[in-house]
Amino acid sequence: MRPKFLKLILFFLLLGTFSAQAQNKIKFVEYELENGLRVILHENHSAPLVAVTVMYHVGSKNENPQMTGFAHFFEHLLFEGSENIKRGEFSKYVENAGGILNANTTYDRTFYYELLPSNQLELGMWLESERMLHAKVEKIGIQTQKKVVREEANQRVNNTPYGSILQEITKRSYKVHPYRWTVLGDMEQLANARDEEFVNFYKTFYVPNNAVLSIAGDINIKDAKKLIAKYFANIPKGKREIYRPKITEPEQTSERRDTVFDNIQLPAVIHAYHIPAQGTPDFYAVNMLSTLLSQGKSSRLQRALVNEQQKAVFVGAFPLSLEDPGLSLSFAICNMNVAPEDAEKSIDAVYKEVRENLISENDFQKIRNQMESDFFTKNSSMATIAESLANYKLYFGDANLINTEIDHYMKVTREDIQRVAQKYFTESNRVALYYLPKQ
Amino acid sequence: MKIQHKLFYSIFLMLFAVSAQAQLDRSKAPKPSAAPEIHIGDYQSFTLENGLKVFLVENHQLPQVSFNLSIDRDPIRENESVGVSSMAGQMLAYGTSTRTKAQIDDEVDFIGARLNTHSKGVYAFSLSKHAEKTFSLLADVLLHPVFPAEELEKLKTQAYSGLANQKSSPDAISKNVSHALCYGLNHPYGETETEETVKNISVEKCKAYYNTFFKPNISYLVIVGDIKLKAAKKLVKSYLGKWKKGDVPTFKYDMPKQPVANRLAFVNKAGAVQSVIKIIYPIDLKPGSPDAIKVSVMNAILGGGIFSGRLMQNLREDKAFTYGARSSIDSDPLVGYFSAGAKVKNQVTDSAIVEFLYEMQRIVDEPVSEEDLKMTINLLTGMFALQLEEPRTIARFALNTARYNLPKDYYTNYLKKLSQITVADVQAMAKKYIKPKNAIIVVVGSKDEVSGKLSRFGTNNQVEFFDIFGKPIQENTKKLPEGLTAQDVVNKYITAIGGAKKLKKVKSFSMSALMPFPGAPTAAVMARYHKENMYVNSLSMGGNVMQKQVFDGKKAQESSMRGSRMLEGDDLKAIKEDAAIFQVLKYLDKGYKIELKSIETINGKDAYAVHITFPSGKKQTDFFDVKSGLKVKQIEFKETSRGVMEQAMEISDYKEISGILFPHTMQMSVGGQSLKISVQNIAVNPKLKDDLFKIKK
Repeated sequence: MRPKFLKLILFFLLLGTFSAQAQNKIKFVEYELENGLRVILHENHSAPLVAVTVMYHVGSKNENPQMTGFAHFFEHLLFEGSENIKRGEFSKYVENAGGILNANTTYDRTFYYELLPSNQLELGMWLESERMLHAKVEKIGIQTQKKVVREEANQRVNNTPYGSILQEITKRSYKVHPYRWTVLGDMEQLANARDEEFVNFYKTFYVPNNAVLSIAGDINIKDAKKLIAKYFANIPKGKREIYRPKITEPEQTSERRDTVFDNIQLPAVIHAYHIPAQGTPDFYAVNMLSTLLSQGKSSRLQRALVNEQQKAVFVGAFPLSLEDPGLSLSFAICNMNVAPEDAEKSIDAVYKEVRENLISENDFQKIRNQMESDFFTKNSSMATIAESLANYKLYFGDANLINTEIDHYMKVTREDIQRVAQKYFTESNRVALYYLPKQ
Repeated sequence: MKIQHKLFYSIFLMLFAVSAQAQLDRSKAPKPSAAPEIHIGDYQSFTLENGLKVFLVENHQLPQVSFNLSIDRDPIRENESVGVSSMAGQMLAYGTSTRTKAQIDDEVDFIGARLNTHSKGVYAFSLSKHAEKTFSLLADVLLHPVFPAEELEKLKTQAYSGLANQKSSPDAISKNVSHALCYGLNHPYGETETEETVKNISVEKCKAYYNTFFKPNISYLVIVGDIKLKAAKKLVKSYLGKWKKGDVPTFKYDMPKQPVANRLAFVNKAGAVQSVIKIIYPIDLKPGSPDAIKVSVMNAILGGGIFSGRLMQNLREDKAFTYGARSSIDSDPLVGYFSAGAKVKNQVTDSAIVEFLYEMQRIVDEPVSEEDLKMTINLLTGMFALQLEEPRTIARFALNTARYNLPKDYYTNYLKKLSQITVADVQAMAKKYIKPKNAIIVVVGSKDEVSGKLSRFGTNNQVEFFDIFGKPIQENTKKLPEGLTAQDVVNKYITAIGGAKKLKKVKSFSMSALMPFPGAPTAAVMARYHKENMYVNSLSMGGNVMQKQVFDGKKAQESSMRGSRMLEGDDLKAIKEDAAIFQVLKYLDKGYKIELKSIETINGKDAYAVHITFPSGKKQTDFFDVKSGLKVKQIEFKETSRGVMEQAMEISDYKEISGILFPHTMQMSVGGQSLKISVQNIAVNPKLKDDLFKIKK
């Protein structure tokens, strides 16, 4: 009798969780145009607005090592205008319509979006299709943006305390993989690049078969499909081969340690451990480990280094979610008069603890709860929903991960967390950097 | 035939298809479809017996819920303890009668929630399934805080660091001073936090603030998210039903007045490469007043909006004075303000002010174009619609409607009212609220380079000077005595400390001092000089040498616990200059450039400011007391990629040793920290071994 009874309870419990998820499921329609453009539509009438977004599967890793910074450069260049949009007017159309727009670039992809009142859906389609069909890739825009991007690099990397960390880390972590250069790229290579090289890049990567059009908001699916056919169906499919590097970074076998002098007041300690690519079972476990270590005021690094030992004013652990095997960074800024060696000892002790001991049931439940909370709150606006759908489609071919990725996290066990701590978070698998004040 | 016919037909189809596609005219932006009906979601409300008013915006899209509790008290003056309310607010979550800070943090994190407390309430957020737990934590910190003394001390230490940082932040200075002048130092909005007021904050004062103002009868609780009315009611009643109401004092203040003529207020920031300009004055504009929407359109045309405002177009796009120029108008039940501002290059500070005043006058004098008006209405319509995506916007509307007693349909009618605004309305608003002749123009910048050109903007052609907290400071405009040179000032100093003859006899020298660091062992500082060009200095803590510089007359090495490096280039040149026992003796040498700039007030006394450019390129300003001739302060300017950094040191407590006056106290401010160096021992011409100055490999 008893087991049966238990099964029944389990059945209801499962039913309960299932319906809770079903209630909040993000529904969408997806299809592909003949030119290869993947389309995802999410209809949601909670507010009269629409996010029109295009994600291109090109990031800094697709670049020629002799011509880095191209992917990010295009994020600037493609606001310059098109055959039908005069120079500088791209943003004016959006602002006059009462909307906003922006773009961003990562190692793996480039993302453009407009957030518009929903009666301006067609404007968004026009703008994005102009960008895809015949953007202006010509001298005046290239020259202007070369200057702007150099200033951006100055501001972000050279002029920001600790701003060069990612650059200093990746060039030591990767010897052969294209993640070894940054998204901003090499300013000299960019400055020397010829106009036709930009045209080539545009013709190769800015093609419908390398993009996902993701639209979310106050739309009618049928009407939206008609507009998509009108504006995007005639954009010719790209004919060139799209370069996707298949480069495996050899395993790191001993610690790489170095010091960087920067214009800072307080020293910093950075560790970067090699971790698996996003979407792998181990990646989910690594992500949960990072949550345990650095999310919230009670997290292990925060409590040990900031509250109890007062060795750091800031500490955090961040896995980089990348298409190819990435890195998990830990970063601590030392308190006044604390030597980096001293802070590093405390950080190492925290990592040693998770390697040697299984985490408690209580901690395990805490991070599951935190993951769950994040999972539901991260898709709270049309812009983030459109971006998440595009991400999942682009990387995994499965937009529905927006609803199901949490299951991958929930499959991770306490033992998995200890196992990945032992497997990846070892000295021989890391780069260790001290940032020290120049004076 | 048949086949041909078919072929013809398909060719026809193809042609047709092509022509159908050609109908897509890409050359023009598509027209918008009919404007969507903008629906402002509903809210529900109820009131507890203790007077707590609750608004609920149900939104079940995501399984999450937020609680925002805010007390709606009158603005208050904090007098001698400015900052007490913000500290009391932060401390709500630093311990309750049943939980320590660590326990609160643990419980919040365990359910993946967030909890923030501040001077006027508490905000909490979680998944809806943890709503009750989250709300119980909110209620605990709201009702049972204990304000532990040791936590207050930590917060006060942080506040001192923050204040020290302010000294180097022109934005913070501009905010302090413009508020002090706009509202007056004795107005709740004009009070500024200083080290003195932070010192005066005590646990008792935090408790008194909390006990006086945290009452349900002046509070609003706004709940947004996945929770039903019935459940919300039950939750609020069971956790906050017993919260006791009480009388809360109310306060009235005189309306701050606009100045009768423009004032030019200047705050000196030595070495600044940019001036921070802010033009500000108080206005009487209440939230929801009939003018409010019209004023927002007028301001968007003048200097609001994203990129299209006239100030941006004029000062950035046309003149390239700045990266951004904007204006804003704020409505407030007590007193609102107009302000406009930009950060501009030193050389164009006066021209930029001219352009600001020109644009303000122009919008008063000339009607705006229909086209500008229409574009602005479009932009504001879109922005209104976009913000409705967030359910908390609806909650904000509900709260404003209640707090400011707005008509029930205020927000539903917003777009209609916006669309009806005319060119005449805009001009009427400009005439009423834009006052290019009754403004306070606050400039934070380099006095030497900028202030001289600004007197024409001030009342009676006067520049008024203020300290960084908005207190007026006298003189600063004292004229240098006719004929006095930098050399005279430097010579007077040399004489004052003992005379060149005595100083030149000093061939070696050693000094030891103590430097307490907050929250760390006291550091011992040691400096030794030998044979006129050898030099070593070190800083140790608890017996360990933390940092050491050695200069053997030719080469220099810097070492720390992390290893050592040889100094090269500018670093090497600089240490050569540091190796002189009395640097001042070299000021008159070739290669040094010295310049007498002005008379400044240092700790209430007049001092000559002398700029020195060292051969290495290092720049420094020394301040010599006018009466005694002694050096009382120095500021070093260091070029970094982030701009010029200042390192200031006040020098005092001169005592005679071997017939020479040596300062015994140095107060340094570095990286936002204030550090005091107390000299313990000084030896003139001690016997030192050459070994001490050798560079070790």
